[in-house]
Amino acid sequence: MSHILEIRNLKINYGVHEAVHGLDMDIAEGKITAIIGSNGAGKTTIINAISGIVKREGTVIYRGRPLTQKAHRVVREGVVQVPEGRRVFAGLSVEENLRLGAYTVRDKKQIQKLLEQQYELFPRLEERKRQDAGTLSGGEQQMLAISRGLMSHPRVLMLDEPSLGLAPVIVEDVFNHIKRICEDGVTIILVEQNAKKTLSICDYGYVIENGRKVMEGNGSDLLENEEVQYAYLGVDRQEDPQDP
Amino acid sequence: MDLQLLISGISLGAVYALVAVGYAVVFSVLKFSNFAHGGMISACAYMGYYFQRAFPAPPPFYVTLLFSAFAGVALSFLIDTIAYRRLRKQQSPAIYYFLASIAISILIVNLLSIFFGKNLYAFPPIFTSTTFYIGSIRFSSIDTLILFVSLAILTFLILLINRTRIGLAIRSVAINSQTSRLMGVNPDVTIMTVFAIAGALAGISGVLLAMKLSVYPTLGSQMMLKGFVASVVGGLGSLGGAIIAAIFLGVIEIYITYYLGSLSTPIVTFGLMLIFLAVRPVGVAGKFAQEKV
Ligand SMILES: Nc1ncnc2c1ncn2[C@@H]1O[C@H](COP(=O)(O)OP(=O)(O)OP(=O)(O)O)[C@@H](O)[C@H]1O
Ligand SMILES: [Mg+2]
Repeated sequence: MSHILEIRNLKINYGVHEAVHGLDMDIAEGKITAIIGSNGAGKTTIINAISGIVKREGTVIYRGRPLTQKAHRVVREGVVQVPEGRRVFAGLSVEENLRLGAYTVRDKKQIQKLLEQQYELFPRLEERKRQDAGTLSGGEQQMLAISRGLMSHPRVLMLDEPSLGLAPVIVEDVFNHIKRICEDGVTIILVEQNAKKTLSICDYGYVIENGRKVMEGNGSDLLENEEVQYAYLGVDRQEDPQDP
Repeated sequence: MDLQLLISGISLGAVYALVAVGYAVVFSVLKFSNFAHGGMISACAYMGYYFQRAFPAPPPFYVTLLFSAFAGVALSFLIDTIAYRRLRKQQSPAIYYFLASIAISILIVNLLSIFFGKNLYAFPPIFTSTTFYIGSIRFSSIDTLILFVSLAILTFLILLINRTRIGLAIRSVAINSQTSRLMGVNPDVTIMTVFAIAGALAGISGVLLAMKLSVYPTLGSQMMLKGFVASVVGGLGSLGGAIIAAIFLGVIEIYITYYLGSLSTPIVTFGLMLIFLAVRPVGVAGKFAQEKV
Protein backbone atom coordinates (compact mmCIF):
# COMPACT_ATOMS: atom_id res chain seq x y z
CA MET A 1 0.00 0.00 0.00
CA SER A 2 1.39 3.41 -0.88
CA HIS A 3 1.11 6.42 1.37
CA ILE A 4 0.12 9.72 -0.17
CA LEU A 5 0.94 11.58 3.05
CA GLU A 6 3.60 10.64 5.59
CA ILE A 7 3.61 12.67 8.76
CA ARG A 8 6.59 12.43 11.08
CA ASN A 9 7.14 14.00 14.48
CA LEU A 10 4.48 16.65 13.89
CA LYS A 11 4.50 19.32 16.61
CA ILE A 12 2.15 22.28 16.77
CA ASN A 13 2.33 25.21 19.18
CA TYR A 14 -0.20 27.91 19.89
CA GLY A 15 2.15 30.44 21.45
CA VAL A 16 3.69 28.72 24.47
CA HIS A 17 1.01 26.04 24.60
CA GLU A 18 1.87 22.89 22.65
CA ALA A 19 -1.28 21.31 21.21
CA VAL A 20 0.26 18.38 19.30
CA HIS A 21 3.36 16.64 20.63
CA GLY A 22 5.27 14.73 17.99
CA LEU A 23 2.78 12.76 15.95
CA ASP A 24 3.44 10.11 13.28
CA MET A 25 0.71 9.26 10.81
CA ASP A 26 0.46 7.63 7.39
CA ILE A 27 -2.38 8.27 5.00
CA ALA A 28 -3.03 5.51 2.48
CA GLU A 29 -3.74 6.62 -1.08
CA GLY A 30 -7.31 6.14 -2.25
CA LYS A 31 -8.56 5.11 1.21
CA ILE A 32 -10.53 6.66 4.02
CA THR A 33 -8.40 7.41 7.07
CA ALA A 34 -10.23 8.47 10.21
CA ILE A 35 -9.01 10.67 13.03
CA ILE A 36 -11.14 10.39 16.12
CA GLY A 37 -10.77 11.77 19.63
CA SER A 38 -12.70 13.83 22.12
CA ASN A 39 -13.15 17.62 22.22
CA GLY A 40 -9.88 19.51 22.29
CA ALA A 41 -7.80 16.45 21.40
CA GLY A 42 -6.11 18.32 18.57
CA LYS A 43 -7.86 16.88 15.51
CA THR A 44 -8.66 20.22 13.87
CA THR A 45 -5.19 21.45 14.77
CA ILE A 46 -3.63 18.52 12.89
CA ILE A 47 -5.48 19.10 9.64
CA ASN A 48 -5.05 22.87 9.89
CA ALA A 49 -1.32 22.22 10.16
CA ILE A 50 -1.42 20.07 7.02
CA SER A 51 -3.40 22.82 5.27
CA GLY A 52 -0.78 25.35 6.31
CA ILE A 53 -3.07 27.66 8.23
CA VAL A 54 -1.33 26.92 11.51
CA LYS A 55 2.44 26.66 11.78
CA ARG A 56 3.98 23.26 12.32
CA GLU A 57 7.25 21.54 13.08
CA GLY A 58 8.27 18.10 11.89
CA THR A 59 7.87 16.74 8.38
CA VAL A 60 4.87 16.25 6.14
CA ILE A 61 5.77 14.30 3.01
CA TYR A 62 3.21 14.46 0.24
CA ARG A 63 3.69 12.19 -2.78
CA GLY A 64 7.34 11.76 -1.88
CA ARG A 65 8.13 15.46 -1.37
CA PRO A 66 7.87 17.85 1.58
CA LEU A 67 4.52 19.64 1.51
CA THR A 68 4.61 23.44 1.38
CA GLN A 69 3.43 25.40 4.44
CA LYS A 70 1.76 28.11 2.34
CA ALA A 71 -1.98 27.52 2.59
CA HIS A 72 -2.87 28.63 -0.94
CA ARG A 73 -0.14 26.42 -2.43
CA VAL A 74 -1.30 23.40 -0.46
CA VAL A 75 -4.67 23.70 -2.22
CA ARG A 76 -2.93 24.00 -5.58
CA GLU A 77 -1.02 20.79 -4.78
CA GLY A 78 -4.32 18.97 -4.34
CA VAL A 79 -4.70 18.81 -0.56
CA VAL A 80 -8.00 20.41 0.32
CA GLN A 81 -9.86 20.92 3.59
CA VAL A 82 -13.59 21.11 4.22
CA PRO A 83 -13.45 23.08 7.46
CA GLU A 84 -15.23 22.47 10.72
CA GLY A 85 -18.55 24.29 10.90
CA ARG A 86 -18.72 24.31 7.06
CA ARG A 87 -17.88 28.00 6.79
CA VAL A 88 -19.63 28.63 3.51
CA PHE A 89 -19.32 32.25 2.38
CA ALA A 90 -22.53 33.93 3.47
CA GLY A 91 -23.28 36.86 1.18
CA LEU A 92 -22.09 34.94 -1.86
CA SER A 93 -24.41 32.76 -3.90
CA VAL A 94 -24.17 28.97 -3.90
CA GLU A 95 -22.59 29.03 -7.33
CA GLU A 96 -20.09 31.71 -6.34
CA ASN A 97 -19.10 29.52 -3.40
CA LEU A 98 -18.49 26.65 -5.78
CA ARG A 99 -16.51 28.87 -8.13
CA LEU A 100 -14.33 29.93 -5.22
CA GLY A 101 -13.69 26.25 -4.56
CA ALA A 102 -12.31 26.12 -8.10
CA TYR A 103 -10.16 29.20 -7.55
CA THR A 104 -7.01 27.25 -8.39
CA VAL A 105 -8.50 25.93 -11.64
CA ARG A 106 -7.77 28.30 -14.53
CA ASP A 107 -9.54 26.52 -17.38
CA LYS A 108 -13.12 27.81 -17.76
CA LYS A 109 -14.35 24.66 -19.48
CA GLN A 110 -12.91 22.58 -16.69
CA ILE A 111 -14.71 24.74 -14.11
CA GLN A 112 -17.97 24.30 -16.00
CA LYS A 113 -17.46 20.56 -16.02
CA LEU A 114 -16.70 20.47 -12.31
CA LEU A 115 -19.81 22.55 -11.61
CA GLU A 116 -21.95 20.10 -13.55
CA GLN A 117 -20.42 17.21 -11.62
CA GLN A 118 -21.33 18.86 -8.33
CA TYR A 119 -24.87 19.56 -9.46
CA GLU A 120 -25.18 15.94 -10.49
CA LEU A 121 -23.91 14.80 -7.10
CA PHE A 122 -26.08 17.29 -5.19
CA PRO A 123 -29.11 18.31 -7.31
CA ARG A 124 -30.36 20.53 -4.49
CA LEU A 125 -27.40 22.81 -4.99
CA GLU A 126 -28.38 23.38 -8.59
CA GLU A 127 -31.92 24.31 -7.57
CA ARG A 128 -30.43 26.84 -5.20
CA LYS A 129 -27.46 28.05 -7.16
CA ARG A 130 -28.45 31.74 -7.05
CA GLN A 131 -29.44 31.67 -3.39
CA ASP A 132 -27.26 33.29 -0.71
CA ALA A 133 -25.24 30.42 0.75
CA GLY A 134 -25.82 31.78 4.25
CA THR A 135 -29.53 31.06 3.94
CA LEU A 136 -29.10 27.34 3.21
CA SER A 137 -30.06 24.79 5.86
CA GLY A 138 -27.30 23.15 7.88
CA GLY A 139 -27.40 20.00 5.77
CA GLU A 140 -27.36 21.93 2.53
CA GLN A 141 -24.44 24.01 3.76
CA GLN A 142 -22.52 20.83 4.52
CA MET A 143 -23.21 19.52 1.01
CA LEU A 144 -22.08 22.86 -0.38
CA ALA A 145 -18.91 22.81 1.71
CA ILE A 146 -18.06 19.31 0.46
CA SER A 147 -18.84 20.23 -3.14
CA ARG A 148 -16.79 23.38 -2.83
CA GLY A 149 -13.88 21.24 -1.66
CA LEU A 150 -14.31 18.94 -4.67
CA MET A 151 -14.30 21.87 -7.11
CA SER A 152 -10.51 22.07 -7.01
CA HIS A 153 -10.27 18.46 -8.11
CA PRO A 154 -8.34 17.37 -5.00
CA ARG A 155 -6.23 14.27 -4.51
CA VAL A 156 -6.70 14.46 -0.75
CA LEU A 157 -9.90 15.75 0.85
CA MET A 158 -9.80 16.42 4.59
CA LEU A 159 -13.23 16.67 6.17
CA ASP A 160 -13.53 18.17 9.65
CA GLU A 161 -16.61 16.89 11.48
CA PRO A 162 -18.93 16.81 8.47
CA SER A 163 -21.73 15.25 10.55
CA LEU A 164 -21.71 17.96 13.22
CA GLY A 165 -25.18 19.26 14.01
CA LEU A 166 -26.97 17.23 11.34
CA ALA A 167 -30.03 15.02 11.71
CA PRO A 168 -29.33 11.24 11.58
CA VAL A 169 -30.86 10.84 8.09
CA ILE A 170 -28.68 13.60 6.73
CA VAL A 171 -25.63 12.17 8.49
CA GLU A 172 -26.28 8.88 6.71
CA ASP A 173 -26.43 10.81 3.45
CA VAL A 174 -23.18 12.64 4.12
CA PHE A 175 -21.32 9.44 4.95
CA ASN A 176 -22.63 7.77 1.79
CA HIS A 177 -21.34 10.68 -0.25
CA ILE A 178 -17.96 10.47 1.43
CA LYS A 179 -17.70 6.79 0.51
CA ARG A 180 -18.67 7.60 -3.05
CA ILE A 181 -16.11 10.38 -3.33
CA CYS A 182 -13.45 7.95 -2.11
CA GLU A 183 -14.55 5.38 -4.69
CA ASP A 184 -13.98 8.05 -7.34
CA GLY A 185 -10.32 7.97 -6.33
CA VAL A 186 -10.02 10.78 -3.81
CA THR A 187 -8.06 10.03 -0.64
CA ILE A 188 -10.13 10.97 2.40
CA ILE A 189 -9.06 12.11 5.84
CA LEU A 190 -12.14 12.10 8.02
CA VAL A 191 -12.11 13.88 11.37
CA GLU A 192 -15.12 12.97 13.45
CA GLN A 193 -16.77 12.81 16.86
CA ASN A 194 -19.24 10.27 15.51
CA ALA A 195 -16.79 7.43 16.15
CA LYS A 196 -19.07 4.49 15.48
CA LYS A 197 -20.17 5.57 12.05
CA THR A 198 -16.71 6.78 11.14
CA LEU A 199 -14.88 3.62 12.20
CA SER A 200 -17.37 1.52 10.28
CA ILE A 201 -16.65 3.25 6.97
CA CYS A 202 -12.94 3.99 7.31
CA ASP A 203 -10.10 1.74 6.20
CA TYR A 204 -7.73 2.87 8.90
CA GLY A 205 -8.13 5.01 11.98
CA TYR A 206 -6.11 7.02 14.46
CA VAL A 207 -7.27 7.82 17.96
CA ILE A 208 -5.89 11.12 19.26
CA GLU A 209 -5.98 12.28 22.88
CA ASN A 210 -4.36 15.43 24.27
CA GLY A 211 -2.30 15.92 21.15
CA ARG A 212 -0.94 12.37 21.15
CA LYS A 213 -1.76 9.26 19.18
CA VAL A 214 -3.10 6.71 21.64
CA MET A 215 -4.14 4.02 19.23
CA GLU A 216 -4.26 3.13 15.55
CA GLY A 217 -5.51 0.28 13.45
CA ASN A 218 -7.99 -0.92 10.88
CA GLY A 219 -11.47 0.52 11.25
CA SER A 220 -13.03 -2.79 12.14
CA ASP A 221 -10.32 -3.63 14.71
CA LEU A 222 -10.77 -0.29 16.42
CA LEU A 223 -14.53 -0.78 16.47
CA GLU A 224 -14.03 -3.99 18.42
CA ASN A 225 -11.35 -2.63 20.69
CA GLU A 226 -12.49 -2.46 24.30
CA GLU A 227 -10.76 0.85 25.08
CA VAL A 228 -12.27 2.49 22.05
CA GLN A 229 -15.70 1.10 22.83
CA TYR A 230 -15.51 2.43 26.34
CA ALA A 231 -14.16 5.88 25.50
CA TYR A 232 -15.92 6.68 22.26
CA LEU A 233 -18.77 4.29 21.63
CA GLY A 234 -20.53 4.57 24.97
CA VAL A 235 -20.09 0.89 25.82
CA ASP A 236 -19.79 0.24 29.58
CA ARG A 237 -16.73 -1.38 31.04
CA GLN A 238 -16.82 -3.44 34.23
CA GLU A 239 -13.36 -2.93 35.78
CA ASP A 240 -11.82 0.40 36.66
CA PRO A 241 -14.94 2.25 37.85
CA GLN A 242 -13.07 5.41 38.94
CA ASP A 243 -11.78 6.01 35.37
CA PRO A 244 -13.26 9.21 33.91
CA MET B 1 -31.71 75.82 -14.13
CA ASP B 2 -32.75 73.05 -11.78
CA LEU B 3 -31.60 70.36 -14.17
CA GLN B 4 -28.22 72.01 -14.29
CA LEU B 5 -28.00 71.93 -10.52
CA LEU B 6 -28.97 68.29 -10.55
CA ILE B 7 -26.27 67.37 -13.02
CA SER B 8 -23.74 69.37 -11.10
CA GLY B 9 -24.85 67.56 -7.95
CA ILE B 10 -24.67 64.11 -9.50
CA SER B 11 -21.29 64.92 -10.95
CA LEU B 12 -19.99 66.01 -7.54
CA GLY B 13 -21.61 62.96 -5.96
CA ALA B 14 -20.01 60.67 -8.52
CA VAL B 15 -16.56 61.94 -7.51
CA TYR B 16 -17.47 61.47 -3.87
CA ALA B 17 -18.44 57.95 -4.87
CA LEU B 18 -14.96 57.34 -6.28
CA VAL B 19 -13.51 58.53 -2.97
CA ALA B 20 -16.00 56.50 -0.94
CA VAL B 21 -15.36 53.33 -2.93
CA GLY B 22 -11.60 53.72 -2.58
CA TYR B 23 -12.10 53.92 1.14
CA ALA B 24 -14.79 51.21 1.32
CA VAL B 25 -12.87 48.59 -0.65
CA VAL B 26 -9.97 48.79 1.81
CA PHE B 27 -12.36 48.72 4.76
CA SER B 28 -14.20 45.67 3.46
CA VAL B 29 -11.05 43.59 3.23
CA LEU B 30 -8.82 44.97 5.98
CA LYS B 31 -11.56 46.21 8.35
CA PHE B 32 -9.99 49.52 9.18
CA SER B 33 -10.70 53.13 8.19
CA ASN B 34 -7.95 54.10 5.81
CA PHE B 35 -7.69 57.84 6.41
CA ALA B 36 -4.45 57.90 4.41
CA HIS B 37 -6.75 57.80 1.41
CA GLY B 38 -7.33 61.56 1.78
CA GLY B 39 -3.60 62.25 1.80
CA MET B 40 -3.18 60.11 -1.31
CA ILE B 41 -5.85 62.12 -3.12
CA SER B 42 -4.05 65.39 -2.36
CA ALA B 43 -0.67 64.00 -3.36
CA CYS B 44 -2.11 62.69 -6.62
CA ALA B 45 -3.77 66.03 -7.35
CA TYR B 46 -0.36 67.72 -7.09
CA MET B 47 1.30 65.06 -9.21
CA GLY B 48 -1.40 65.43 -11.83
CA TYR B 49 -1.05 69.20 -11.74
CA TYR B 50 2.72 69.16 -12.24
CA PHE B 51 2.46 66.46 -14.88
CA GLN B 52 -0.04 68.56 -16.80
CA ARG B 53 2.26 71.58 -16.61
CA ALA B 54 5.45 69.69 -17.43
CA PHE B 55 4.78 69.81 -21.15
CA PRO B 56 4.91 72.86 -23.41
CA ALA B 57 1.53 71.87 -24.80
CA PRO B 58 -0.60 70.17 -22.10
CA PRO B 59 -1.06 66.43 -22.78
CA PRO B 60 -4.55 65.11 -23.48
CA PHE B 61 -6.73 64.85 -20.41
CA TYR B 62 -6.88 61.06 -20.36
CA VAL B 63 -3.07 60.87 -20.32
CA THR B 64 -2.97 62.98 -17.17
CA LEU B 65 -5.70 60.85 -15.66
CA LEU B 66 -3.82 57.67 -16.48
CA PHE B 67 -0.57 59.07 -15.13
CA SER B 68 -2.25 60.08 -11.93
CA ALA B 69 -3.89 56.67 -11.56
CA PHE B 70 -0.53 54.93 -11.86
CA ALA B 71 1.06 57.42 -9.48
CA GLY B 72 -1.74 56.61 -7.05
CA VAL B 73 -1.08 52.88 -7.30
CA ALA B 74 2.65 53.44 -6.67
CA LEU B 75 1.92 55.70 -3.71
CA SER B 76 -0.57 53.21 -2.30
CA PHE B 77 2.04 50.42 -2.43
CA LEU B 78 4.58 52.73 -0.83
CA ILE B 79 2.22 53.55 2.04
CA ASP B 80 1.36 49.88 2.48
CA THR B 81 5.06 49.02 2.68
CA ILE B 82 5.88 51.81 5.12
CA ALA B 83 2.82 51.75 7.33
CA TYR B 84 0.73 48.59 7.11
CA ARG B 85 2.75 45.59 6.06
CA ARG B 86 4.48 45.07 9.37
CA LEU B 87 1.20 45.48 11.24
CA ARG B 88 -0.25 42.76 9.03
CA LYS B 89 2.67 40.42 9.70
CA GLN B 90 2.15 40.82 13.44
CA GLN B 91 -1.62 40.61 13.13
CA SER B 92 -2.02 43.88 15.01
CA PRO B 93 -5.47 45.08 16.06
CA ALA B 94 -7.43 47.41 13.76
CA ILE B 95 -6.75 50.46 15.94
CA TYR B 96 -3.04 50.30 14.98
CA TYR B 97 -3.90 50.48 11.30
CA PHE B 98 -6.26 53.33 12.01
CA LEU B 99 -3.56 55.32 13.83
CA ALA B 100 -1.00 54.56 11.14
CA SER B 101 -3.37 55.76 8.44
CA ILE B 102 -4.08 59.03 10.27
CA ALA B 103 -0.36 59.56 10.78
CA ILE B 104 0.31 59.03 7.08
CA SER B 105 -2.48 61.40 6.13
CA ILE B 106 -1.15 64.19 8.38
CA LEU B 107 2.37 63.55 7.14
CA ILE B 108 1.33 63.93 3.50
CA VAL B 109 -0.67 67.11 4.09
CA ASN B 110 2.25 68.70 5.93
CA LEU B 111 4.83 67.63 3.37
CA LEU B 112 2.65 69.16 0.66
CA SER B 113 2.29 72.40 2.68
CA ILE B 114 6.05 72.61 3.18
CA PHE B 115 6.92 72.07 -0.45
CA PHE B 116 4.09 73.85 -2.21
CA GLY B 117 2.66 76.23 0.39
CA LYS B 118 -0.98 76.57 1.18
CA ASN B 119 -1.83 78.40 -2.02
CA LEU B 120 -4.52 77.20 -4.33
CA TYR B 121 -3.27 76.11 -7.74
CA ALA B 122 -5.84 76.24 -10.50
CA PHE B 123 -5.74 73.21 -12.74
CA PRO B 124 -4.98 74.22 -16.33
CA PRO B 125 -8.31 74.38 -18.20
CA ILE B 126 -8.93 71.53 -20.60
CA PHE B 127 -11.93 72.99 -22.38
CA THR B 128 -11.88 76.17 -24.43
CA SER B 129 -15.40 76.92 -23.32
CA THR B 130 -16.61 76.20 -19.82
CA THR B 131 -20.18 75.49 -20.85
CA PHE B 132 -22.12 74.03 -23.75
CA TYR B 133 -25.75 73.91 -24.75
CA ILE B 134 -28.01 71.03 -25.64
CA GLY B 135 -31.15 72.69 -26.92
CA SER B 136 -31.76 75.56 -24.55
CA ILE B 137 -30.20 73.89 -21.51
CA ARG B 138 -26.74 74.96 -20.43
CA PHE B 139 -24.31 72.33 -19.18
CA SER B 140 -20.99 72.81 -17.43
CA SER B 141 -18.32 71.10 -19.57
CA ILE B 142 -16.20 70.09 -16.63
CA ASP B 143 -19.11 68.71 -14.60
CA THR B 144 -20.31 66.66 -17.52
CA LEU B 145 -16.85 65.26 -18.19
CA ILE B 146 -16.37 64.39 -14.53
CA LEU B 147 -19.76 62.74 -14.43
CA PHE B 148 -19.03 60.48 -17.39
CA VAL B 149 -15.53 59.57 -16.28
CA SER B 150 -16.70 58.76 -12.75
CA LEU B 151 -19.67 56.69 -13.89
CA ALA B 152 -17.47 54.78 -16.33
CA ILE B 153 -14.96 53.98 -13.62
CA LEU B 154 -17.63 53.02 -11.10
CA THR B 155 -19.21 50.67 -13.64
CA PHE B 156 -15.84 49.14 -14.37
CA LEU B 157 -15.23 48.61 -10.66
CA ILE B 158 -18.59 47.04 -10.01
CA LEU B 159 -18.01 44.61 -12.86
CA LEU B 160 -14.51 43.90 -11.59
CA ILE B 161 -15.74 43.10 -8.10
CA ASN B 162 -18.85 41.15 -9.10
CA ARG B 163 -17.89 39.40 -12.30
CA THR B 164 -14.22 38.47 -12.20
CA ARG B 165 -12.11 35.87 -10.48
CA ILE B 166 -10.06 38.49 -8.67
CA GLY B 167 -13.27 40.23 -7.60
CA LEU B 168 -14.56 36.96 -6.16
CA ALA B 169 -11.28 36.53 -4.29
CA ILE B 170 -11.60 40.06 -2.86
CA ARG B 171 -15.13 39.38 -1.69
CA SER B 172 -14.13 36.06 -0.13
CA VAL B 173 -11.24 37.63 1.79
CA ALA B 174 -13.64 40.35 2.96
CA ILE B 175 -16.05 37.72 4.28
CA ASN B 176 -13.52 35.37 5.85
CA SER B 177 -9.85 35.61 5.08
CA GLN B 178 -8.91 32.30 6.72
CA THR B 179 -11.50 30.29 4.81
CA SER B 180 -10.50 32.00 1.57
CA ARG B 181 -7.00 30.62 2.07
CA LEU B 182 -8.50 27.14 2.18
CA MET B 183 -9.87 27.86 -1.32
CA GLY B 184 -6.36 28.58 -2.58
CA VAL B 185 -6.71 32.37 -2.47
CA ASN B 186 -3.47 34.14 -1.59
CA PRO B 187 -4.58 36.94 0.78
CA ASP B 188 -1.34 38.90 0.28
CA VAL B 189 -2.00 39.17 -3.44
CA THR B 190 -5.61 40.10 -2.79
CA ILE B 191 -4.61 42.83 -0.34
CA MET B 192 -2.11 44.22 -2.85
CA THR B 193 -4.89 44.28 -5.45
CA VAL B 194 -7.14 46.15 -3.06
CA PHE B 195 -4.43 48.73 -2.38
CA ALA B 196 -3.87 49.06 -6.12
CA ILE B 197 -7.57 49.71 -6.68
CA ALA B 198 -7.66 52.26 -3.84
CA GLY B 199 -4.53 53.96 -5.20
CA ALA B 200 -5.86 54.19 -8.74
CA LEU B 201 -9.13 55.62 -7.42
CA ALA B 202 -7.24 58.17 -5.31
CA GLY B 203 -5.29 59.20 -8.42
CA ILE B 204 -8.34 59.58 -10.59
CA SER B 205 -10.49 61.32 -8.00
CA GLY B 206 -7.54 63.59 -7.13
CA VAL B 207 -7.30 64.90 -10.68
CA LEU B 208 -11.07 65.22 -11.10
CA LEU B 209 -11.43 67.11 -7.83
CA ALA B 210 -8.48 69.31 -8.70
CA MET B 211 -10.14 70.23 -11.98
CA LYS B 212 -13.31 71.11 -10.16
CA LEU B 213 -11.94 72.74 -7.03
CA SER B 214 -8.23 73.51 -7.68
CA VAL B 215 -5.26 72.01 -5.86
CA TYR B 216 -4.39 72.57 -2.18
CA PRO B 217 -2.89 70.40 0.58
CA THR B 218 -6.09 69.56 2.46
CA LEU B 219 -8.14 68.91 -0.68
CA GLY B 220 -8.00 65.14 -0.17
CA SER B 221 -8.71 65.09 3.55
CA GLN B 222 -11.77 67.28 3.03
CA MET B 223 -13.03 65.00 0.30
CA MET B 224 -12.10 61.95 2.33
CA LEU B 225 -14.53 63.19 4.96
CA LYS B 226 -17.30 63.27 2.36
CA GLY B 227 -16.34 59.82 1.14
CA PHE B 228 -16.28 58.59 4.71
CA VAL B 229 -19.75 59.97 5.38
CA ALA B 230 -20.98 58.30 2.21
CA SER B 231 -19.51 54.93 3.12
CA VAL B 232 -20.85 55.05 6.65
CA VAL B 233 -24.30 56.04 5.45
CA GLY B 234 -24.03 53.47 2.65
CA GLY B 235 -23.23 50.69 5.10
CA LEU B 236 -19.53 50.24 5.89
CA GLY B 237 -17.81 48.03 3.39
CA SER B 238 -20.71 47.94 0.94
CA LEU B 239 -19.72 49.38 -2.42
CA GLY B 240 -23.21 49.72 -3.85
CA GLY B 241 -24.48 51.44 -0.73
CA ALA B 242 -21.52 53.82 -0.70
CA ILE B 243 -22.08 54.83 -4.31
CA ILE B 244 -25.76 55.58 -3.82
CA ALA B 245 -25.10 57.52 -0.61
CA ALA B 246 -22.27 59.50 -2.24
CA ILE B 247 -24.42 60.60 -5.16
CA PHE B 248 -27.20 61.70 -2.80
CA LEU B 249 -24.65 63.59 -0.75
CA GLY B 250 -23.37 65.44 -3.81
CA VAL B 251 -26.85 66.42 -4.95
CA ILE B 252 -27.93 67.57 -1.48
CA GLU B 253 -24.76 69.61 -1.11
CA ILE B 254 -25.19 71.41 -4.40
CA TYR B 255 -28.81 72.26 -3.70
CA ILE B 256 -28.08 73.46 -0.18
CA THR B 257 -25.15 75.53 -1.36
CA TYR B 258 -27.34 77.07 -4.01
CA TYR B 259 -30.30 77.87 -1.82
CA LEU B 260 -28.74 78.37 1.64
CA GLY B 261 -25.11 79.19 0.91
CA SER B 262 -21.95 77.13 1.35
CA LEU B 263 -21.53 77.87 5.05
CA SER B 264 -24.53 75.81 6.08
CA THR B 265 -23.62 72.79 3.90
CA PRO B 266 -21.48 70.90 6.42
CA ILE B 267 -24.06 71.48 9.16
CA VAL B 268 -26.86 70.11 7.03
CA THR B 269 -24.94 67.16 5.57
CA PHE B 270 -23.51 65.97 8.88
CA GLY B 271 -26.87 66.59 10.54
CA LEU B 272 -28.52 64.44 7.89
CA MET B 273 -25.92 61.72 8.42
CA LEU B 274 -26.57 61.63 12.16
CA ILE B 275 -30.32 61.48 11.66
CA PHE B 276 -29.95 58.77 9.04
CA LEU B 277 -27.70 56.65 11.24
CA ALA B 278 -30.02 57.07 14.20
CA VAL B 279 -32.90 55.78 12.10
CA ARG B 280 -31.00 53.11 10.20
CA PRO B 281 -27.72 52.22 11.90
CA VAL B 282 -26.80 49.54 9.36
CA GLY B 283 -26.68 52.00 6.45
CA VAL B 284 -28.33 51.92 3.03
CA ALA B 285 -27.10 48.44 2.16
CA GLY B 286 -28.32 46.94 5.41
CA LYS B 287 -25.19 44.91 5.85
CA PHE B 288 -22.64 45.93 8.39
CA ALA B 289 -19.07 44.82 7.98
CA GLN B 290 -17.71 43.97 11.40
CA GLU B 291 -14.67 45.80 12.65
CA LYS B 292 -11.73 43.44 12.92
CA VAL B 293 -11.02 42.61 16.55
N1 LIG C 1 -6.17 29.30 17.72
C1 LIG C 1 -5.87 28.68 18.87
N2 LIG C 1 -5.15 29.32 19.81
C2 LIG C 1 -4.82 28.72 20.97
N3 LIG C 1 -5.17 27.45 21.28
C3 LIG C 1 -5.88 26.76 20.38
C4 LIG C 1 -6.27 27.34 19.13
N4 LIG C 1 -6.97 26.43 18.42
C5 LIG C 1 -7.03 25.33 19.22
N5 LIG C 1 -6.38 25.53 20.39
C6 LIG C 1 -6.22 24.54 21.47
O1 LIG C 1 -5.61 23.40 20.95
C7 LIG C 1 -6.21 22.23 21.48
C8 LIG C 1 -6.74 21.35 20.35
O2 LIG C 1 -7.84 22.02 19.70
P1 LIG C 1 -8.54 21.44 18.40
O3 LIG C 1 -9.45 22.48 17.90
O4 LIG C 1 -7.51 20.94 17.49
O5 LIG C 1 -9.38 20.24 19.01
P2 LIG C 1 -10.34 19.23 18.27
O6 LIG C 1 -9.81 17.88 18.50
O7 LIG C 1 -10.57 19.64 16.88
O8 LIG C 1 -11.67 19.42 19.13
P3 LIG C 1 -13.21 19.42 18.68
O9 LIG C 1 -13.61 18.00 18.54
O10 LIG C 1 -13.90 20.07 19.84
O11 LIG C 1 -13.32 20.20 17.42
C9 LIG C 1 -7.29 22.71 22.42
O12 LIG C 1 -6.77 22.66 23.72
C10 LIG C 1 -7.55 24.12 22.01
O13 LIG C 1 -7.95 24.91 23.10
MG1 LIG D 1 -12.20 20.29 15.84
